[in-house]
Amino acid sequence: MPDKSSKLVTLLFVLFFAIVLPAGHLMGIVSINTISLWGRYCCFAIAALGIDLIWGYTGIMSMCQAFFFCLGGYCMGMHLLLKATALQGQELPDFMVWNNFSSLPAFWQPFHGFVPAVVLALLVPAVIAFVIGFFVFRSRIKGVYMAIITQAFALGMYLLFLRNETKLGGTNGLTNFKAVLGFDLSSSNTKLALYFATVAMLCISYILCRKMMASKFGKVLQAIRDSEPRVGYTAYRVLNYKLAVFVVAAVLAGLAGMLYVPQTGIITPGRMSVTSSVEMLMWVALGGRGKLKGAIIGALLVNCLYSLCTSLFPEGWLFVLGVLYILTVLYFDKGFTGLFDKFAALLRSRRKAVVEGVPSPHAENTRVSHPAMARSSEGN
Amino acid sequence: MNTGIRLILCLLLSFLWLGTAYASDDKVGSCMQQVLYPQNDEMRAQALSALASLKPSSSVLRFLEAVNSNSLYLYKDKAVTLGSKKRNGAEDVYLIYQLYPEQMVLLDADAQPLMLPVTALQQVQISRPHRLLLAPLSSWIGIFSMDPQKRTMAYGQVRAVSDTMLINALPLALENETDASALRAGKEAWYALRLNNAASAQTAKLLIDSLETNGGDNATARLRAYAKKAGVPQEAAVYASAKADKLDNHYAWLQRVQHLFSGISLGSILILVSLGLAIVYGLAGIINMAHGEFLMIGAYATYCTEMLFSNVLHVQNSNWFFITALPVSFIAAGLMGLFLEWLIIRRLYARPLESLLATWGVSLVLIQTARTIFGDLTAVKLPDMLAGGWQVSPHLVLPYNRIFIILLTIVVVVALYGMLFRTRIGMQIRAVTQNRSMSACLGIDTRRVDAFTFFIGAGLAGLAGCAMTLIGNVVPDMGQTYIVDSFLVVVTGGVGKLIGTITAGLGIGIFSKVLEALFQAVYGKVLILLLIMIYMQFKPRGLFPDKGRIAEE
Repeated sequence: MPDKSSKLVTLLFVLFFAIVLPAGHLMGIVSINTISLWGRYCCFAIAALGIDLIWGYTGIMSMCQAFFFCLGGYCMGMHLLLKATALQGQELPDFMVWNNFSSLPAFWQPFHGFVPAVVLALLVPAVIAFVIGFFVFRSRIKGVYMAIITQAFALGMYLLFLRNETKLGGTNGLTNFKAVLGFDLSSSNTKLALYFATVAMLCISYILCRKMMASKFGKVLQAIRDSEPRVGYTAYRVLNYKLAVFVVAAVLAGLAGMLYVPQTGIITPGRMSVTSSVEMLMWVALGGRGKLKGAIIGALLVNCLYSLCTSLFPEGWLFVLGVLYILTVLYFDKGFTGLFDKFAALLRSRRKAVVEGVPSPHAENTRVSHPAMARSSEGN
Repeated sequence: MNTGIRLILCLLLSFLWLGTAYASDDKVGSCMQQVLYPQNDEMRAQALSALASLKPSSSVLRFLEAVNSNSLYLYKDKAVTLGSKKRNGAEDVYLIYQLYPEQMVLLDADAQPLMLPVTALQQVQISRPHRLLLAPLSSWIGIFSMDPQKRTMAYGQVRAVSDTMLINALPLALENETDASALRAGKEAWYALRLNNAASAQTAKLLIDSLETNGGDNATARLRAYAKKAGVPQEAAVYASAKADKLDNHYAWLQRVQHLFSGISLGSILILVSLGLAIVYGLAGIINMAHGEFLMIGAYATYCTEMLFSNVLHVQNSNWFFITALPVSFIAAGLMGLFLEWLIIRRLYARPLESLLATWGVSLVLIQTARTIFGDLTAVKLPDMLAGGWQVSPHLVLPYNRIFIILLTIVVVVALYGMLFRTRIGMQIRAVTQNRSMSACLGIDTRRVDAFTFFIGAGLAGLAGCAMTLIGNVVPDMGQTYIVDSFLVVVTGGVGKLIGTITAGLGIGIFSKVLEALFQAVYGKVLILLLIMIYMQFKPRGLFPDKGRIAEE
């Protein structure tokens, strides 16, 4: 029963984003900006999938996912900027001219082509995640230490990207993109196509992640979350598994960033600040950790709320976000999907009770309430 | 006709020079009178020219400097000029120096130097063409200013040229010099001037030695300029550049000491912030991301205390508010911590990663609240007793506010150790940190211990915030600047270890400042992060890890 209904929900979900929203646009009800906005949210959802893999399933709190997101974004941004510069007949992007660069820095060269840019947008986060992950996991840094080390790393990179010497546009980041693959970025058809591409990538990522988590690999990851020493004792190489999932999460974040940039038209270091990484974690926590759907719903929901709040009462957004953080952690351990499941279970037991005519106890509480158990499940 | 009068005046002047001092004074007096109350513009111009061509005397030159810098005023019918500036409440007040009839610092009824705002004086308007009459003197006349800072600058700008007027005037200025740094700059200018006109290599060497021992700000620049000058004896030039190198080397050392000092000062701030984090994490397994906001609360408590003292109680002495603010900020932040502990944090014990998210939320709410109440930027006045610095040598000044922060940290660390190892509650805190359930079994009220520890931890951050107002602005997100760093301190030191926190705080502080000096600030920061990550490869549990069975937990 629950399997069926959840499949139905998934189908409706996909139908809504793949058909209803674009159809609404074609009928003139939904503006292209709304479509583009949802396209961006879907990018965030892809990144959230990665966070769910590493945090929800493996129990590793990585606080530098926003940095990987930006790496992907910057790779795509560099390509778009080079194309825009070429279209305008200039030799160097504007910010390089302002900073008195005489020629294009060497590491910009590969980004002339679209395919190398896409490959690099996925490869660069993967390689960096591999290096960081290798050293961090090798020395058995975990739990809080992992969170703080990755946070410090993200802060360091953020500071580095703010500088003009990094040759990536400094505080202003990369902007003024014109076209992707020859299609004008400001035309609504391109925007729609990008939106479709994003939704498709989201679906594909979701399916792949689901397959991955259902496989033996995924089971081992969850075992690591629940008790890392025991997995180690049973002769699994914990380091390799953690490293693999860390790299996969980084690649997903890079993919998300890559899709995000052409739709937003700008990428700045602000996207990779410490706050953004924590916010990304919050999407997953709010949607429901350890559930891929939860990650997607959380990302869409929080960002939707963000747009709503900032347009209605801009001062209040931080209050709303802060209170959401607190409430989620204190009361909705499993996020919205957990709440939904609980509600569904309650309904089911009611219905059963009505059918059988027996008053039933409340639905079984699946929440781990004992602090010690929670602690071990965090992999402290 | 003009030239005729000038000629007569010049003759008169030369006559007066030859005459008695009294006669000369009389002439000076009438010229000054003419400048102050001119019969017409022509007469004022003549009087000015006459004064400028007189044999230099400090009284005349001071008067001319006042004219030149357009700071000649009348006060009770006497010509005065402004001395050093002081801030008194909302307005600037100045020491008033009388130029004519007599030269003296004006005193008030209590025989204290009179301090007046500019508005109490009547400016003597002297037009620009008239002031331009003093153009030949204007490159160095500033050395006769009554403001020591301006004098210091003017001495620094004296170029080594053979201007007889200057050569005569400089010793006059030095004779009456009272301010130490102005005297140093003046001597430097004087030595450089004589060095430039030195006849023999022997004299030059002596003067170079004097320049070196004097230790002025521009000594190396002056020595190098001399060494490069054409027509200087070879021997003296080599000697000069060798001395310049030596001085540079000396200054570089002083610079290093300065970096070390700022490193220790940064380290003390980090320690102050991290101590609270470390004991709370050790005790309750809480990663308190809102810890930086307690710092912010402490800073705003200090700000409020200042407002209270200056606007409500009208206490003029700015030291009192700060002394009061120290306990106030501790208690304000501590109480806020107690409230949050009761409201939120006690539900999160031993769930570090979740506490991280929840307390991040708390910090967002607190920041936005502060922004709503206080706006984006405020600052606290530096109390008088902490203004200025300890001048170890002319080129090494250790600011009192930084010294105060270091001392405060030492006091706090000693007090904390005393509390943890010499009192009953301290023993209970250590017991609960080691083994919570066992302590509870033995009758320790762990809830009370938790709350108390959180109060202390938050209070320490508040105290740090109070100290931070001495060196920076008070802004709503000031805590965020330090939070990542202080977590690094806790992690590097080994979680829950005070000695580790202290060592790591100092180490990171000093390393950061030294690296920042070697590279640019940002690269220094990135480097220190890298260093910590490399270090964690070898000591993943920090400097002072737990040993034995506790470590396995």
